[in-house]
Amino acid sequence: MQGGRGMWKIIAMAIVIAGSGVTSALADATPISKESRVYIVWPRNGQAVSGGKLWVRMGLKNAGVAPAGVEKVNTGHHHLIVDAPLPPLNQEIPADKNHLHFGAGQTEVHLELPPGTHTLQLLFADHQHVPHNPPVYSEKITIVVP
Amino acid sequence: MRTAFFISAIALAALTAMPAVGSGAEAGQTPAAKNAYLYIGWPNDGEVIRTHRFRVWFGLRNAGVAPAGVEKANTGHHHLIIDAPLPPFDQEIPADKNYLHFGAGQSEAIIELAPGKHTLQLLMGDHQHIPHNPPIYSRKITIEVK
Repeated sequence: MQGGRGMWKIIAMAIVIAGSGVTSALADATPISKESRVYIVWPRNGQAVSGGKLWVRMGLKNAGVAPAGVEKVNTGHHHLIVDAPLPPLNQEIPADKNHLHFGAGQTEVHLELPPGTHTLQLLFADHQHVPHNPPVYSEKITIVVP
Repeated sequence: MRTAFFISAIALAALTAMPAVGSGAEAGQTPAAKNAYLYIGWPNDGEVIRTHRFRVWFGLRNAGVAPAGVEKANTGHHHLIIDAPLPPFDQEIPADKNYLHFGAGQSEAIIELAPGKHTLQLLMGDHQHIPHNPPIYSRKITIEVK
């Protein structure tokens, strides 16, 4: 009986320790208002874009844009994920053709996409290109280039 | 004779050292991003809006947003001018109910207007709320609130 209770204590402590490990990773991330949102103003989900050339407009509510490297409360800069899933949210967002960084503070980008179906998703990140706590990302939308 | 020559030489040097008439006196010190294009994404010119409270979306191409106080090339922060003219370009943009500052780096704002016709115009300011050189401003649009 005593051995049994001891085991439960150890398991409980292990769970608590593991849990605090996860939350402290999030806690290190830059905080941002829980009301902040990013959203794709244009194009609309399901839109067909003839020619594949378009300005993607990045919307932001209850927070501000700051260039990469600038550390200021409730700010960050946009990242646009093209034809890829969300990256891990606890580390620096990769920079490649599927993960476009807008560290100069841009709120729009001109894209040229080849024919086919494409997904677009916005992910906000802090001065070090790391998503915030809580992470701020948009719905993933799908567009078609005929 | 020599003194007169000396004085006139200094005067001539001072005149040639001054920037071209117009751009020096009429605009701020921070150069504007080349091809920066500022526009009101929504509402559109002539829009009839049936609520008193609505969101204005600030469009910006070929430049970035940075919070007030942050000095970075090709950036600025938004100002929304409501029912007022463009202010003088060589000084800090005023801050009152007609000149709204978005120094936290916002790219949109919710405003509340009384019924009737109103004009809206965007103007970018540098880290010190002074317009760029040349100044970056949108077309002035007219909307009607019902």
